[in-house]
Amino acid sequence: MSASADPGRLSAQRPSGLAQTVEGFRVQLRVIHALLLRELTTRFGRGHLGFLWLFIEPLMLASAIGGLHWFLERGRTGAAPIFLFYVVGYAPYFAFRSIVNRAPTAFHANMTLMYHRQVRLLDVVLARNLLEASAVLCVLVLVIGSSAWLIDMTPHSVPTMVFALLLMFGLANGLSLLVAAGAARWEVVERLVHPLTYLSLPFSGAFFALHDLPPRLRDALLWNPQPNIHEMLRDGMFGAFMVTHYDLLYVIGWVAMTNLLGLAAIRAVRPQLEF
Amino acid sequence: MIYLDRVSKHYEVRGGGRKTVLADVSAVIRPGDAVGILGRNGAGKSTLVRMLAGVEFPSSGRVERRMSVSWPLAHGIGLQNTLSGADNARFIARIYNHPIPKVLAFVQDFAQLGGYFDMPVRTYSAGMMGRLLMGLSFAVDFDCYLIDEVTATGDARFLERSQEMLSEKTRGRTVVLVSHVAEHVKLYCRTAAVLHDGSLTFFEDIDEAVATYRAL
Repeated sequence: MSASADPGRLSAQRPSGLAQTVEGFRVQLRVIHALLLRELTTRFGRGHLGFLWLFIEPLMLASAIGGLHWFLERGRTGAAPIFLFYVVGYAPYFAFRSIVNRAPTAFHANMTLMYHRQVRLLDVVLARNLLEASAVLCVLVLVIGSSAWLIDMTPHSVPTMVFALLLMFGLANGLSLLVAAGAARWEVVERLVHPLTYLSLPFSGAFFALHDLPPRLRDALLWNPQPNIHEMLRDGMFGAFMVTHYDLLYVIGWVAMTNLLGLAAIRAVRPQLEF
Repeated sequence: MIYLDRVSKHYEVRGGGRKTVLADVSAVIRPGDAVGILGRNGAGKSTLVRMLAGVEFPSSGRVERRMSVSWPLAHGIGLQNTLSGADNARFIARIYNHPIPKVLAFVQDFAQLGGYFDMPVRTYSAGMMGRLLMGLSFAVDFDCYLIDEVTATGDARFLERSQEMLSEKTRGRTVVLVSHVAEHVKLYCRTAAVLHDGSLTFFEDIDEAVATYRAL
């Protein structure tokens, strides 16, 4: 959408058709790259550990949660190492939550940059989400890498895990587009999003195996795409160590739908933005 | 050229009602024009500039740009307050696809911020901000510059300098300057228009425009 709907972005001569789309994509990539670098410098400064904080924060939180449960439940003899179970649950959940929670401020925090015509609300949201996603990706690579090295616990299927993570980021991205568009239009959205993400934690399936639940409860939870993704991640990580329940096609449907609706919402809200 | 085709703009006002900024305005801004737009505070000058720039969309009607148009040069606009002047210059260079060292050198030279170039923009005085903005926009080549009162800041030396720069940079180019100060319009522009009560009236003769504006 953002590539072709591009009336006279920079140049006076307008190419047509495919050339215009390609040029649009080029501009968009440039803008997202610039936004990424800007976000890194504004959030973490140039000094000290700088952008390392980006993934130190989720790393510390995930390790703390993992360590706590490892300590509390060390009597339990589950097949899956408890520390890993919680990190694999928490890190993607952290990304999901921070992507969705940051979305309401996307417009107001970046309004002054949107005075540059080529900087679009979509680019702003995408740049932020990419940053959050890559931070959590670093955390997971670090934790899973060291567990493979230290306790010889390698993921059962890396492709499954990668795909599940992409779906998680995709879902968060679609929702964040909807939230960003909604918040730019109605103030109340900003107030609702935080409590909602907070309240949705028990339904996210991030911290428990669905197999341990009564079947009726499990089936009810699986209407939510989030537990499906967390289960898929655990399937990729632990494989035969545990029984997992998820519906891949259902999740893909959710991701596609939220992203399409999100793009439409961002586009619809654009003419109504007031600077 | 920039075409305004029956452009209207109104805002919903809190507690019901709407405020009309532009009502059915049609206009053409031609290459090489230097137009000053006079209007009192709250007349909608900045909104008009934002619509010319394509930042804000009209409620109805169409704005068409057939040349490259700068972002609205207004105080603090298009800048990131927490970033340094240099980081802002890097950002501008990246999004407008200009070589970073060239932009940095140009802005450093034009704005003469000295050590402040590496300080966060929020520590700048109004004059320094104005200089940085002018520097950034001149580092990128536009066919048309939209200026929103930004020339009003800065001391006499900078005013002289920016006037010199404006006339050099904008030779054969287009300038749209909005202001509530008639003297600035006289200084930079060749024609003028008055924005009042949602209508935009153009005058070939600046003095006539100024007289009309003062009579409001």
